[in-house]
Amino acid sequence: MIAAFLVNFLRDLRRQPLRTVLTLSGVVWGTFSVAVLIAFGASVHRMQIKRAHGMGQNLVIAWPSRTTMPYGGFLKGHVVRLSAEDVEALPSRVSGIRRISPEFILPRRIRFGRQELNNSVRGVNPAFAVMRNTIPQTGRFIDPSDLERRRRVCFIGNTLAQDLFRGDTAVGRDIFIEGVPFIVVGVMKEKQQNSNYSGQRDEHCAFIPWTTFSALYGEKYVSNFLFQPEDPAGSKPLIRDLRRLLGRRLGFDPRDEDALFIWDVTELEQKFIAFFAAFTIFLGVIGSFTLLVGGVGVASIMLVVVEERTREIGVKLAVGAKRRTILRQFFAEAQALILFGGGIGFLLASLAVAATSRIKAVTDSVGTPVIDPVVSVSTVAVLLLIGTVSGLMPARRAAAVDPIQALRK
Amino acid sequence: MITCRAITKVFAMGTAKLEALRGVDIAIEAGEFISIMGPSGSGKSTLMNIIGCLDTPTAGTYLLDGREVAGMTFDQLAEARNRKIGFVFQNFNLLPYASAYENIELPMLFNGKSARQRRQRVEELLAQVGLADWRRHRPSELSGGQQQRIAIARALANDPPVILADEPTGNLDSASGEEIMALFNGLWRQGRTLVMVTHDPKIAAHSQRTVKLLDGRVVA
Repeated sequence: MIAAFLVNFLRDLRRQPLRTVLTLSGVVWGTFSVAVLIAFGASVHRMQIKRAHGMGQNLVIAWPSRTTMPYGGFLKGHVVRLSAEDVEALPSRVSGIRRISPEFILPRRIRFGRQELNNSVRGVNPAFAVMRNTIPQTGRFIDPSDLERRRRVCFIGNTLAQDLFRGDTAVGRDIFIEGVPFIVVGVMKEKQQNSNYSGQRDEHCAFIPWTTFSALYGEKYVSNFLFQPEDPAGSKPLIRDLRRLLGRRLGFDPRDEDALFIWDVTELEQKFIAFFAAFTIFLGVIGSFTLLVGGVGVASIMLVVVEERTREIGVKLAVGAKRRTILRQFFAEAQALILFGGGIGFLLASLAVAATSRIKAVTDSVGTPVIDPVVSVSTVAVLLLIGTVSGLMPARRAAAVDPIQALRK
Repeated sequence: MITCRAITKVFAMGTAKLEALRGVDIAIEAGEFISIMGPSGSGKSTLMNIIGCLDTPTAGTYLLDGREVAGMTFDQLAEARNRKIGFVFQNFNLLPYASAYENIELPMLFNGKSARQRRQRVEELLAQVGLADWRRHRPSELSGGQQQRIAIARALANDPPVILADEPTGNLDSASGEEIMALFNGLWRQGRTLVMVTHDPKIAAHSQRTVKLLDGRVVA
């Protein structure tokens, strides 16, 4: 029975090749576009998250700046300064900070052998590595004893390592920063970074203990500091508490947002996730409507088919087919047509995705698209739903054929 | 085998009523071969449809093989058509895109016979109608006589006790017509009940008796 159905079904498809292609094209295109759009959308999303994490994860960065409101007897324009020790002490004064690091940044001459570069040097503490995802490829990041003993050690970005050492081993070598020797203790693992502040990207930088930085270059006040809230979603109240505390200590109005300029990266990431969720829903809806249009095509073609095959239906009824047998037959044909089209769509989509995954220019900009299993399952569900809707009407019409009228045709 | 008592059939044509059958009484014994004759509009097609369980009478009773047909649902009628009756039409009514084999197999697809049973039966029937070599051909590749023989084989697929033939030789030349009638005679001799509509007296002469219809009534 099933074999007979399939034989008939395939014969019907072959009989009208043009019509079959036109009918299927809507469903094929619908499935293809849903699968590909969402594959690329998700890939771009992953890529962007990865790049955002290149900057840092659940990160808030703060720059002490100048006041723009008069406060505590000072006119506006008063410079807000914060020492690294004050930064290190903040978690004990404000609750809800998981990690914090001061940061000093200056461009410095960095030399190894005859290679000399003028790159950013950042004075930080060990917590910086976790927050900013400066993960060692070889060696290690700055550790607490480096900080405590003001060691002249540095952790360097992968591009800086390449520029200085030309592929030779970097860890354990001495480099000169402003003429002072530093031991390279680690090289950063390559990362995607889509945003930055105050100087070069991490791959070009040298990271040294802030204690060393402060002592060598005579810097007391930090360029900025960065921290991770205990609760990534609860950065707002923490920032408010921080402004209140620092405002009192450093002399600025807690409402004066420019006195302590804050970049809440967590907020950005949440917006980003929300945006991509909306974007994916948008793609899904567009794709579903495309599928729906394909379904309408199938429904109308099936109605024509029923019309054409009235005689066949009449014959079948005359030799003993029940109405529900006819109903099932046409319903199954519509479903099979749609699933067949969906199958081709998926096949084309995976070919397209596989093809683009090989092109480096594409993967660099949008990441590696993958046909999402959840999307596949839900697309099949939508296809089945559309198949049901578009198969039901023609099938009911087929089953309602009057055999006497049909045989007379 | 077939007992019709006071069968009437009224078609509503808008507000007008058309009485196609006005109290038809027919009794056909098992193993009989009868022909129904009558001019067009006499109601013979309507009667065939009712006997063939394609339609139900407006009033009256119809017993097929001892069972009342009048009150059956569509699907019960379908089952009766499937098991009790084999149809042979004037224009053959074969599925144009299916092979001879598939056309014969068709009625067996609707009553759950296994693939092996179906194959065996189709082979038997192909041999019986002398078209074993034509199993893969489509109706359009067969002559009219061959098509009608395939149609007869299809009618026999579920081994029904009754064969209904509506002008079975109407579209055939006389030589093919004679072949078909020879086939029918063979079936009758095997003990099947044959009911045939025709307006050709020569064809009707093959049957045991003739029922004449005029204006929805049996006249002879």
